[in-house]
Amino acid sequence: MSKINFKIVTPERVVYEAEIDQVTLPTSSGEITVLPNHIPLVSLLAAGELLIKIGDKIIPMAVAGGFVQVGKNQVVILADSADKIEEIDEKRAEEAKKRAEELLKTKQVDSTEFAALAGQIERELAKLKVVRKHRKTTLRPMPKVEE
Amino acid sequence: MAGTKEIRRRIRSITNTKKITKAMELVSASKMRKAVNNVLATRSYANLAWRVVLDLAGKTESQYHPLLEKRPLKKIGIILISSNRGLCGGFNGQIAAKVVREIKKYEKENIAVELITLGKRGRDIARKSNANLIADFIKQDLTVSITQISALSHLILENFINGTYDSILLAYTDFISSITQKPVLKKLLPLETELDENLGVIGRQQKIDNRKQTTDDNLFEYIFEPTTDEVLEKLLPRLIEMQIYQAVLESDASEHSARMMAMRNASDAAVDMIDDLTLAFNQARQAGITREIAEIAGGKAALE
Repeated sequence: MSKINFKIVTPERVVYEAEIDQVTLPTSSGEITVLPNHIPLVSLLAAGELLIKIGDKIIPMAVAGGFVQVGKNQVVILADSADKIEEIDEKRAEEAKKRAEELLKTKQVDSTEFAALAGQIERELAKLKVVRKHRKTTLRPMPKVEE
Repeated sequence: MAGTKEIRRRIRSITNTKKITKAMELVSASKMRKAVNNVLATRSYANLAWRVVLDLAGKTESQYHPLLEKRPLKKIGIILISSNRGLCGGFNGQIAAKVVREIKKYEKENIAVELITLGKRGRDIARKSNANLIADFIKQDLTVSITQISALSHLILENFINGTYDSILLAYTDFISSITQKPVLKKLLPLETELDENLGVIGRQQKIDNRKQTTDDNLFEYIFEPTTDEVLEKLLPRLIEMQIYQAVLESDASEHSARMMAMRNASDAAVDMIDDLTLAFNQARQAGITREIAEIAGGKAALE
């Protein structure tokens, strides 16, 4: 079976790059899964969980904002932020979220600041969601992933 | 002994100058490290973003978004990115000269050119060469966030969309290594499918496998989710802004590298000069002593 040439980059770094079997990602119109030979597509990336599957291995990531370009067996993700699960510090994410929420409530913010803060809250929320979900699954024996 | 005094004064003055240039070299070196880190970090994103934009532009009808429009050239906007300060070798001169040449070329073809500058030096040179300067933006010493150039990119995008400019060129200095920087004119708008070879060394490598892909890639059209309008409306301005940002970062890294090299050369030249002067000083001193001995010997001989 053919594989997908996958690449996810943020303005800061190349987060992940590999030949993969499938990827599930959140877009602004709902979650989609891209399998090899997917039709060329361009969409907006939403905040949430991104799952990469290579063989039996699953790599979860928290992403927020950006663009997805699906070409011929090639997926390029230009994300505003993307973190692999092992890189997420749950406490830090929680604090960052609280701080942003606090600022949003107390401070008089203009529209650009508001957008930035709301974006940050969304980002941290996505991180928290992903990290909590996958921490639980690692404590219990891994359930078999059905396709 | 008048000669030696003069030489000693010069040695002292050059030693002080050397101290200053050395200090400036060190400051530039640390700024350069930061700037280079920034530029390398965003480079792959910017390159990839630009590829996506050009790919889309090639495959999407221009009616879907005003940024995809191609018009006959009547008026061109050039963004000139330079530095705020001098003492960085040919950094500002080279890019400004390139822009001035370009303006002359267009003027011959009766195409109006307007200049938008970022950085004081470029502005001053533009003013001296009587270029049509319409806006000047204040440049930070180290650009660290895309929000710092959002005013500039807003102006550019707006003026392209409302038809003031039919093309936008971006003049910046491409950071190739800390020793080599290349002044570059890049066509930002309208979007053209031919790939640019100018976003650094990494960009050049990617170009090769890009060519390969585009040949069999060109056979399909993209579908957009949720809608073409919505995706393009978000994607194009954002990714074009990213290109401007990347160009500013490239220029930043180039500026500080150029200054570091210029200051290193100045320090080296100062060391050479001090060596030469010290030699001259010792010779003069030696000559003085020899002369004095000769005089004493001569005086003694006259007494006997």
